Amino acid sequence: MSRGSGGGYDRHITIFSPEGRLYQVEYAFKAVKAAGVTSIGVRGKDSVCVVTQKKVPDKLLDQTSVTLLFPITKYLGLLATGITADARALVQQARNEAAEFRFRYGYEMPVDVLARWIADKSQVYTQHAYMRPLGVVAMILGIDEEKGPQLFKCDPAGHFFGHKATSAGGKEQEAINFLEKKMKNDPEFTYEETVQTAISALQSVLQEDFKASEIEVGVVRKEDQVFKVLSTDEIDEHLTAISERD
Amino acid sequence: MGDSQYSFSLTTFSPSGKLVQIEHALTAVGSGQTSLGIKAVNGVVIATEKKLPSILVDETSVQKIQSLTPNIGVVYSGMGPDSRVLVRKSRKQAEQYYRLYKEPIPVTQLVRETATVMQEFTQSGGVRPFGVSLLVAGYDDKGPQLYQVDPSGSYFSWKASAMGKNVSNAKAFLEKRYTEDMELDDAVHTAILTLKEGFEGQISGKNIEIGVIDSKRIFKVLSPSEVEDYLQEVE
Repeated sequence: MSRGSGGGYDRHITIFSPEGRLYQVEYAFKAVKAAGVTSIGVRGKDSVCVVTQKKVPDKLLDQTSVTLLFPITKYLGLLATGITADARALVQQARNEAAEFRFRYGYEMPVDVLARWIADKSQVYTQHAYMRPLGVVAMILGIDEEKGPQLFKCDPAGHFFGHKATSAGGKEQEAINFLEKKMKNDPEFTYEETVQTAISALQSVLQEDFKASEIEVGVVRKEDQVFKVLSTDEIDEHLTAISERD
Repeated sequence: MGDSQYSFSLTTFSPSGKLVQIEHALTAVGSGQTSLGIKAVNGVVIATEKKLPSILVDETSVQKIQSLTPNIGVVYSGMGPDSRVLVRKSRKQAEQYYRLYKEPIPVTQLVRETATVMQEFTQSGGVRPFGVSLLVAGYDDKGPQLYQVDPSGSYFSWKASAMGKNVSNAKAFLEKRYTEDMELDDAVHTAILTLKEGFEGQISGKNIEIGVIDSKRIFKVLSPSEVEDYLQEVE
C-alpha cells in the first residue's frame, strides 16, 4: 500500500498518522516545552495565583515589555507558556472575544466560557490543514460568580480542564509531582498560602532561589475580583515570607 | 470549508481502495477511553470511563456525557476536542429543526445529520476526519433508541454497543449479558459491570460517568453520589 502513511504528510499538517495520532499537535506540545520556561498555577479557597519565569535573553531589552502574563478583561487573566508570538496572537483574539461577549450579553465573560472558546479555537487548528496549532499552553484565571475561584488550562490539542493546581512548560512534570503532594488532601489555601505554594513550587523544580525581578506573578482574589499583576515589591514580600518560613 | 490553499481533499483512496485517514481515525478512537451503551425496554443508558490526567484536575469541570436535546444524550470515545465540535453542531441542528417544524427532532434525524457532518469532513478540502465515535441515546415517539456513529459517518442502531480501548472484551461481555426484556435499572447495573471488567484501578462515582433516559423522556447525567449508589448495589 504505497500511501499507507499519508504520503509522509502526517508530520507536516494535522492529518492522522497510522497509529491514529496527530504529529503536528504533539510537536506543538514539544514547542511549549522547548521554550524553556515553566509556569505554575494554584487555586486556593478564595484566590488563584499563577507564576512564571521571566527570562530576559538580552540585557539591552526593555524588561517591562517581556511578559507572558496578560489581562484579558479587568477580571480575567491569561498566562501563556510557549512561543511568545503565538501567545500574543491568542491574547489579542481572546481580548476581542471577551469584549464582544460583554457587549452582546450584558455580563462579563465567565472563566470557563473563555477557556472553552480558546480550546475550541485550538481544536479547529488541529482539524483544518490551513492553520497550524499554536505552540502555547494557556492558563486562565478568574473568579466565577457561582463557583468561586477558577483556574483553567488549555493546550494545543484543544483540551481544557479546570484545575486545583497545574503546571506547564519545561519542568511541567516535576512541578505537577510537587503540587500533587501539596494538594493531596484538598487543602483550602488562604491567599498568602496560595501565592507561596505557587512560588515555592517553582523554586523547588528550578532548584534555585530567584529574585523578584526574575518571576512574574498574577493573582485574582474573591474580595476584589480584579486580575492583578503583582509588583516587584509585593513579590519580594512573598519571597521573604517563604524564606523565613523555611 | 474549502480552506484557501487546500481545495483538495486530504482523505483520498489508496491503491487498494481504502480511505486510510478514516482507518487512522478509527485507530485514534480505539485508543480512547472505553464507553458503552445499552438499550432497555423502557429507556437507554450510556456510560464511560472518566480517567483524568492528574489528581490536580478538578473533575467537576469535566463532563464527557452531554445532552443534545432534552431527550437525546451522547457519549464519545476518542478525541475530546473533536467531540465538542460535533456536540455544538448537533445542538444547533436540533434547534433549527425545532424552529422549522415546531416539534422536537426525532433521534434518527439528529443522528443522520450528525453523521452527515462527520462524512463531510472525510471528503471536504483541507480537513481531517473526526477522531471520535459517538453513542447517541434518545427516547422519542419510536421508543428508546441507541445509535453509534463512526468517523466515516456511517451509523447503525444497536441494542448494546461499546467503543474505545476495551471494545472487544466489553462487547463480548455485553453479548453474554444482554436480554431483550432488560429494564433500565438492570441495564445500568450491566453497564457498570461491563466498565468494571476492563477498569484499571478502583472504580468510583468520580471516575466514571453514567447518563440515562427513561420513559419520561428527559436525558439525565447521574451525579457522582447517584453513581456511587448504583455501584453499591452492584457489589
